[in-house]
Amino acid sequence: MEGNIEALTGALALIGYGLGAVGPGIGIGIVAGNAITAMARQPEMQGTIRTTMFLGIALTEALALIGFVLFFIASAG
Amino acid sequence: MILATECDVANEVICAPANVTELFEFPTIFTIGSFEVTRTEILMFLAAFIVLGLFYFGLRQQRLVPSKFGVAMEGMVGFVRDGIGRDVIGPESTKYLPYLLAMFSFLLVGNLFSITPIVNFPVTSRMAIPAFLSLVTYWIFVIVGFAKNNFRYLIDTAWPKAVPIGLRWLVGLIELVSIFLLRPITLAVRLFANMVAGHLMLTLLLGSGVIFLAAIPEIGFKGTIGIFWFALGLFMYLLEILIAVLQAYIFTLLTAIYIESSIHFEH
Repeated sequence: MEGNIEALTGALALIGYGLGAVGPGIGIGIVAGNAITAMARQPEMQGTIRTTMFLGIALTEALALIGFVLFFIASAG
Repeated sequence: MILATECDVANEVICAPANVTELFEFPTIFTIGSFEVTRTEILMFLAAFIVLGLFYFGLRQQRLVPSKFGVAMEGMVGFVRDGIGRDVIGPESTKYLPYLLAMFSFLLVGNLFSITPIVNFPVTSRMAIPAFLSLVTYWIFVIVGFAKNNFRYLIDTAWPKAVPIGLRWLVGLIELVSIFLLRPITLAVRLFANMVAGHLMLTLLLGSGVIFLAAIPEIGFKGTIGIFWFALGLFMYLLEILIAVLQAYIFTLLTAIYIESSIHFEH
């Protein structure tokens, strides 16, 4: 049976994105979890901690989003 | 139509829509001179005019007791001024407040188009718009960096004195790449990818819900799975409101953080 390379490209891109989403998932969990711990410890610092948490989440999330865009590029090309 | 509505559901196993790339195609609606105006451009200008209108009608009269709408607009201005500008940049933030406020309100309206009925299309999900906005931010923080620190901005970034000499070239290289290359790219891609992902998710979930429910007369009980897809789509709809507001906030926050790191860049 001849394989369909076109279909395989899309599937590979999908697997690649799935693997690429693992790391940022763990990272966002660590960032948010530690932010919650910090907020529980020092509720008066909540504003600063939230800002820093969003910054950390945004930087971590960028990897997953680059993977998402590369998925489209790879599956279309 | 992205949905495979002409599919013969009783006989065909896989219902493929006629044109899967339709979400990414934008036909010209009308032309002005040599400019071809698409739906994205109309919505972009609509977003800009909505922002202008909101500020004009919200803050038109300065009264001791403002109207309810005025209070809401003042709340937004106060949020950007205190929550983003003053907390991140500090007392110098007044100079950058107009830019931050314009950015936040335009992105908020543009992102919320994603869940506005009839419009249903976030203008920020076209790469050109986040890319341009992030280029403006890039331009501002690089210029501010050079204006405040002269050429020490570039030299101290590439050759950081605080780092041990053996690692200095490596840290300098990473800093150079991350500040001058990765920052603008990730800023644009983050907003773009979030909005595209949300838009696709809503289209797929609500669309497949509608298709399954419409096919109930032909395929019977199996079509009721559409209720599940539709409910999931409505849940994503709520989540999309949160994402739209959060992404506008994060884009503005990162703009402020980048400007701040250019002003006081020694630490």
